[in-house]
Amino acid sequence: MLVVENLIKQYGEFVAADGINFAAEKGTVFGLLGPNGAGKSTAINCISGLLKPTSGHISVNGHDVASDARRARQCLGVVPQELAIYEDLPAIDNLRYWGKAYGLRRKTLESRVAEVLSYIGLGDRAHELPKKFSGGMKRRLNFGCGIVHKPAVLLLDEPTVGVDPQSRERLFNMVEAERDNGACILYTTHYMEEAERLCNSLAIIDRGKIIADGTVAELRAQTGARDVLQLSGNFPVEETRSAIHDLANAKINDLEIISQEEGSLTLSLPDGSHNLAIIFDSLASAGGRVTETSLRRPNLETLFLLLTGKELRE
Amino acid sequence: MLATVRKDLSRWRQDIVGILLWMSIPLLIGGLITSMMDGGGGAKPHGVLLLADQDESFISGLIAGAYGQGELGELISVEKVSFEEGSRRIDAGNASGFLVIPAGFGNAFLESEPVTLTLRTNPAQTILPGIIRDVTEILLDSGFYLHELFAPEISTIRNLVEDGSRPDDLLVAAISVAINAKIEAASSQLMPLALDLEIVEPPPSDAPSYPFALLFLPGIILMALMISANGLASDFWIERAQGTLRRVIIAPGQMAGFLVGKCLAAGIVMTAVGGVTLVVGFLYRGITFTRLPSALGWIAVSGIALFSWFGVLQMAAGTQRAATVVTSMFLFPLLMAGGSFFPLAALPDWIAAIGRKTPNGFVADRLTTEIIADAAWAIDGQSWLIVAAIAMTGLGACFLRLRSGFARG
Repeated sequence: MLVVENLIKQYGEFVAADGINFAAEKGTVFGLLGPNGAGKSTAINCISGLLKPTSGHISVNGHDVASDARRARQCLGVVPQELAIYEDLPAIDNLRYWGKAYGLRRKTLESRVAEVLSYIGLGDRAHELPKKFSGGMKRRLNFGCGIVHKPAVLLLDEPTVGVDPQSRERLFNMVEAERDNGACILYTTHYMEEAERLCNSLAIIDRGKIIADGTVAELRAQTGARDVLQLSGNFPVEETRSAIHDLANAKINDLEIISQEEGSLTLSLPDGSHNLAIIFDSLASAGGRVTETSLRRPNLETLFLLLTGKELRE
Repeated sequence: MLATVRKDLSRWRQDIVGILLWMSIPLLIGGLITSMMDGGGGAKPHGVLLLADQDESFISGLIAGAYGQGELGELISVEKVSFEEGSRRIDAGNASGFLVIPAGFGNAFLESEPVTLTLRTNPAQTILPGIIRDVTEILLDSGFYLHELFAPEISTIRNLVEDGSRPDDLLVAAISVAINAKIEAASSQLMPLALDLEIVEPPPSDAPSYPFALLFLPGIILMALMISANGLASDFWIERAQGTLRRVIIAPGQMAGFLVGKCLAAGIVMTAVGGVTLVVGFLYRGITFTRLPSALGWIAVSGIALFSWFGVLQMAAGTQRAATVVTSMFLFPLLMAGGSFFPLAALPDWIAAIGRKTPNGFVADRLTTEIIADAAWAIDGQSWLIVAAIAMTGLGACFLRLRSGFARG
């Protein structure tokens, strides 16, 4: 239903999207997980037609975005990262306007607008101006404007940024409902828990490239049983590296340094809780001093850390 | 397209104060100009001079008659009263002045003896009592000099009048010759005059003249149109900030309808802004309303043209603040040159010719034609085509700018 093949978007020397490939099916949520600036919005903007790709092929519901743009756009619904609503136009008129923009007329339009208003929980405030709404209510209206024409493919670009927990839960329910109604949803986020909850399959993206993809279970499996141990303190660079190297050869198989700086050290290792004492002894003998420790079980965030050496939220 | 018209009218209605402000600009300026230039059409001030003539002589009669001469007579009415009535009425403030000519004034004048005329003025009035005082002083000064020159002749005429006898032709001729000889003798002292005043009348023009306020009406309507066009065109920036322009790009085939709809909505608002002033002007000047549809049509088409080009200027700038500066740099010089601060018809020909070449001057000039012509639809077809072409090219330029990146933000 949504196919992206070898998508490249360049701004001069800077490559915002570097050969992105993925496909998403009807009735599923496909997640693009990555930190800010990874290329998620670039991909969405290319799919929606807001940006022209440097090269590559994008197909929406069987319509090529470049050569059959009008039909492709007719199948698309977009909920952009930034709000895109008329704050000085009543909520109901916002929905009517965008419904008409996608060809809905008269009774179909009115019934769909009423349905969406109820769906996004703004039925009792339909005639009020959005500028009087809370941030969460505006987000919901923004979502409603994107789905008012019942799109076959829905692009959600970080829809929960700046949303309170209650509205976030409501948005999750709406996304799940759209999925259950048969929409194909592309969902970008840098929140691991959102991706784990909503996405049937996902791709992890960093610096314009997809570095891992698959179902959530498949991606979890990629991390194996390896834990991530993050240490803060003071670690002499050379001595610490040598000590960890010796440990990996002698006592802890598969112990790896993910990242190392003088004030922090991130390690990947199997069965972290049983090996903590050995690691602390080794670091102390190398002249290091540990002030803070964090041991994390495998999840998408640790997978991202393992793959890129940096936090998802950086 | 119609959805965009409805949407924008609904949004702009939220800012009704701004629209009323645009409407009030021409009404305020027009009201001020009309009151200054037309004088409001009110009657000239008129005062009453009470005159108690206790002398009843030929000379006192001349003074009383002098106040009623020429334009002075339009300002002041002389009413003969008794001393008591005059005193009572001036004390009550029922006249501008009260002049008392005492008994024996005529004889004293002819005998060059001192005599006192009493003039009391109304302190509640400012202008008319001053005029009466000045005129009285001039009359007395003139009388002194006339007496110095023509005392025998005046005395002869006075005797004839007071006797009631009819002068024979010989006496009239003798008096005339004597007066003429004295004037010729005095002319060597008086001539040549230090100032030689020559009044040159302009050649009579076939063109009819119109009240200043009527000629000013199109200019101030254009001022309101220009300011409102600029204000409405800044909505492109508002839509960009709200992110709705991005949605418009994403929606299938929406851009052209969106742009045309926005222009039509702007045209409706500007027609309302200009129309209010136009209707007030028509009512005030008694212009027939058969010309209203054509004038409103001209305002609507011109308004759309102005809106589209202000849209181009707004979107050409890098930021909204820069857009405000850029449009202001165009707006005020154009208003100045295009007849919004002074009607083109009242400017020197060469300045007016430049003004008519500005967009707003062009529109105002044709609107003037429409208002003062003998019949409606007086604007020529070529002018309509020019304005329509300007509107279309402006729309095209807006479309290109929106597509070339402005809408994406």
